[in-house]
Amino acid sequence: MQGTGSRELNSIDEYVYALKRMNWGLTLVIGALLTISVMFIYSACYISDELPVRTLYKRQALWITAGAVSYFLFALYDYRKLRKMGPWFYMLSLVLLVVVLVVGVTVYGSKRWLLLVPPLGIGIQPSEFAKLSAIILLAGMLSRFGAGVKKMGLMIAVLAVVFVPMLLIFKEPDAGTAMIFLPVAFVMMFVAGIPLKRLILLVFLGVTVVGSLVTVVLAPERFGLREDQSTGVMQFVGIKQYHKRRLRGFLDPDKDPTGAGWNKLQSEISVGSGGKWGKGYKKGDQNVLGFLPRSVAPTDFIYSVIAEEMGFMGSSIVLFLFGVIILFGMHAALVAQDKMGRLLCVGVVTMMFIHTFMNIAMTIGCLPIIGLPLPFLSYGGTFMIVTMSSMGIVQSVYIRSRPRVRSL
Amino acid sequence: MALNDNLDHELMRVRVAILLMLMGIIFLIGVLWRIQVRDTSKYRSRFARQSMRAMRVPGPRGRIFDRNGVCLADNRPSYCIAIYVEEMRQPGKSSNTVNQVERVMDLVAGELGIKRVVTRHDIKIHMLKRRPLPLLAWRDIGEEMLARWQESDISMPGREKYLPGVAVAIEPVRIYPQKDVAAHIIGFVGYSHAVRKPDDDYDFHLPELQGKYGVEKTCDTLLFGKSGERLMRVDASGFLAPNFLVADTEDRDDDSGNPMPGSDVVLAMDVRIQKMAEYVLQGERGAVVVLDPRNGDVLALASAPTFSPNVFTPRISSKDWAELQKDKEKPLLNRAMCEVYAIGSIFKPVVAFAALVSGSTKPGTSYSCPGKYTYGRLEVGCWRKSGHGTLAMRKALEQSCNTYFCKLSVACGYKAIIKTAEALGMGRKTGINLVGLVGEAKGCVPSDAWKRRVYGDKWRIADTCHLSIGQGPINATPLQMAVMASTIANAGCIYKPRLVFKGNQGSRQIRFRGRNGVIPGRLVGKMPWTRSMLDVVRGGMLDVVSAPTGTGKRARVLGVKMAGKTGTAEYGSRSNPKKHAWMIAFVPFDNPRYAIAMVIEDALSGGRSAAPRIKLLVEEILRLDATAMTGPAERRACKEQGVES
Repeated sequence: MQGTGSRELNSIDEYVYALKRMNWGLTLVIGALLTISVMFIYSACYISDELPVRTLYKRQALWITAGAVSYFLFALYDYRKLRKMGPWFYMLSLVLLVVVLVVGVTVYGSKRWLLLVPPLGIGIQPSEFAKLSAIILLAGMLSRFGAGVKKMGLMIAVLAVVFVPMLLIFKEPDAGTAMIFLPVAFVMMFVAGIPLKRLILLVFLGVTVVGSLVTVVLAPERFGLREDQSTGVMQFVGIKQYHKRRLRGFLDPDKDPTGAGWNKLQSEISVGSGGKWGKGYKKGDQNVLGFLPRSVAPTDFIYSVIAEEMGFMGSSIVLFLFGVIILFGMHAALVAQDKMGRLLCVGVVTMMFIHTFMNIAMTIGCLPIIGLPLPFLSYGGTFMIVTMSSMGIVQSVYIRSRPRVRSL
Repeated sequence: MALNDNLDHELMRVRVAILLMLMGIIFLIGVLWRIQVRDTSKYRSRFARQSMRAMRVPGPRGRIFDRNGVCLADNRPSYCIAIYVEEMRQPGKSSNTVNQVERVMDLVAGELGIKRVVTRHDIKIHMLKRRPLPLLAWRDIGEEMLARWQESDISMPGREKYLPGVAVAIEPVRIYPQKDVAAHIIGFVGYSHAVRKPDDDYDFHLPELQGKYGVEKTCDTLLFGKSGERLMRVDASGFLAPNFLVADTEDRDDDSGNPMPGSDVVLAMDVRIQKMAEYVLQGERGAVVVLDPRNGDVLALASAPTFSPNVFTPRISSKDWAELQKDKEKPLLNRAMCEVYAIGSIFKPVVAFAALVSGSTKPGTSYSCPGKYTYGRLEVGCWRKSGHGTLAMRKALEQSCNTYFCKLSVACGYKAIIKTAEALGMGRKTGINLVGLVGEAKGCVPSDAWKRRVYGDKWRIADTCHLSIGQGPINATPLQMAVMASTIANAGCIYKPRLVFKGNQGSRQIRFRGRNGVIPGRLVGKMPWTRSMLDVVRGGMLDVVSAPTGTGKRARVLGVKMAGKTGTAEYGSRSNPKKHAWMIAFVPFDNPRYAIAMVIEDALSGGRSAAPRIKLLVEEILRLDATAMTGPAERRACKEQGVES
């Protein structure tokens, strides 16, 4: 099953050959999204009174540079070596997740940040690294066994690998990022060949647990619980009051238009008032006048800014670009020379898709507000580097793919 | 084979995953289409609702002119130093911004050497309620302060200590260029306290002027025009958004939102006569009304003492207002129409007409006057104790003989007198388009029913006698007496007093197109007076002024035939009797153009207090209107030569 496309890269020529074999279409699409990112972070922030916010786009450009470097490094690096690195990466990210709970910086009520260069305010979010390291570890684990993939033990091991970082991230608390692990692991297990019946059972279990938790939080009387018992359950599971408010805000935004529902309402108004063709670059009044809160406009709500200023045309073009990235990424999975590569691509693409889908769905009011950034577009350093590294891994898989005997 | 099967299986599952993800993307595009294309108008209007504020803006208030185009009420710009709070914004708590506004205000105060008038509390209230509007830190700063502002280092960009967000704003303020003249007619304005009604679409109101008194009040709708609407874009914190930030997407292009300026109002009043009327009343409490008997135009309507309407603009302090209201002399009272007076002997021509019309008396009927009138136990004294002897009606009017009129009234009956008085408009409002703080007074014409209602007693001969000499419960406003004089002057036509010209009546062309330059008035009644009746009563009134023994001889103007009737109305208690001095007059006698009624409170007598003042007034009127003494033909000629004043 060893493909002929695999080669050791040890001379300049071979590096050049590898670069030539890269999926340049994918690189181009990523480049387009990154350009859009810088443009609209500028548009979202140019009106701010504060210099650091006004120059946020410059910092984003810096992060993009760092991301581009890691993108090419990972593309050239042979992904098969990651199999051995997987457990170490994973352990490292777990350590970081523990460290952040101890010495992390509290922002908006949750400890997500490790300050690296305190005076400049440069820090990292270990939870973002944890996602990628979990994908690498899972790809390694799931590709090790051929037919043994159907054993129950493997599935339990996979779930264990996923749950440890999830719980740590949930503790920060950052429920949005924690939740990402589940669908990613699910799709990877699905592609790896774990029987569908078992997966469906898993989903059913998960939905039951989450559903009853939501009911306990929002409507304890359904289970015959009192308010304080509901609070007790929330404390035990680690659900914070603001989660409850956000859920409420999602379910009934008009009831409390200045509180939890505000962001959702304003984001929807931004997107909706953009119309077919948008209000024009830098002319999104919802954003300019500050109705779309300035603190989140360049990060979680960058898509609202784009949709308002560029309208349906612009927002669907962005969606189209994401679609292309998914297709290219999955194409790499299809042509990957081994299962490890395939699972890496599937994991990375699933992560991208979930981020994209959840983020956009929340900006247009289809999901409650969960703090998930939009890949390539949202402002953020750690996530940018993780995203770009992940795409680098996809490229690495593509470069070392089977010769084109079979494809899509 | 197993491996290949596995591979196929895996690839199949990858394809399923791709399919699901693409479906996810398509779902998102569908939702986007719904929000951005299908429902976009809904979101746009929601956006407009949260970012647009509508402000009601009044149009410029109309002006008021007299019949010759002299401006009586105008608008002047009042300069204010305004603070644009959105440029003072500070990050953090809103109290930081309030601090900054205070700091800037202190800077300006220091630079201009003025005291701060706006308190911290005021700033907070402004930030809370009128955030997108400029805060007027100093109102109506005056020319000198304006100059100091313009020369200061803070006023302009590029200057040393330029303060952005501070600028001069202009507020319109009502001004009365004729100062105190005709205060009771013009009235004054105040700021309406616009209470936010639930159905009011406006978020803010600019202060709106509202007529509170006089013509400013009665013609308020006309003068006000129509309020417009100004739309403002505000940001999420409610501050006014700078223009350059705002994409002009849905700005209205029609001008339905523009305010309509109010219409000008032209009064029938002649400010020159009005000035003289006020001059002759100086130092007294009283009133004088001058009407044009040809159409009821109110040429002058003065009440003394008076007040200055200019103290009401831009704002009257509550202290000044309280003082004005408490003043014992009651300057705010319009005595010419809101106050009733016992009328005394000026009622006698009415009695004479009543007797003549009833047929009980002929113009030549004579009665004797022994110095008092007795009827049973009733005794009414004549002012001349020695008596007038036997005298006819013309002489009785000239001498104002009480005995004669008592006998006359007993002969014709009180009902005829009441009927005539009521026909002349006494006892009800004339309907002049003017108010004071209160509306026009009705006055009182007593009757049997009235007496039964008020005193629980029937009408007696004594009441008839008192009525015949204008004493007792009968009273009237000076305006009603002027209407009476005017009706005698024009041989029986009762015109509704016209103060405000309607529509284009005020325009010069219309005034000249009317017959002899007279716009027809509104006739509300006609008295059944024949030539012979008029001759005797008017003859008597002519003698009042021109006969050497006439009671109104002090009103005589050399070379002018004028008719009049004096009156001295007694009122008050027996221990403290007081007198109102009255005189009615019309001039010129043959072709009357001016009918006058005057009352002076607490004076000596009509002949001594009112008549000399009438003389001054008539002299001035005739000086102004040199053509009044000549006939209609000459007047037309004069007009063609442009002599018409």
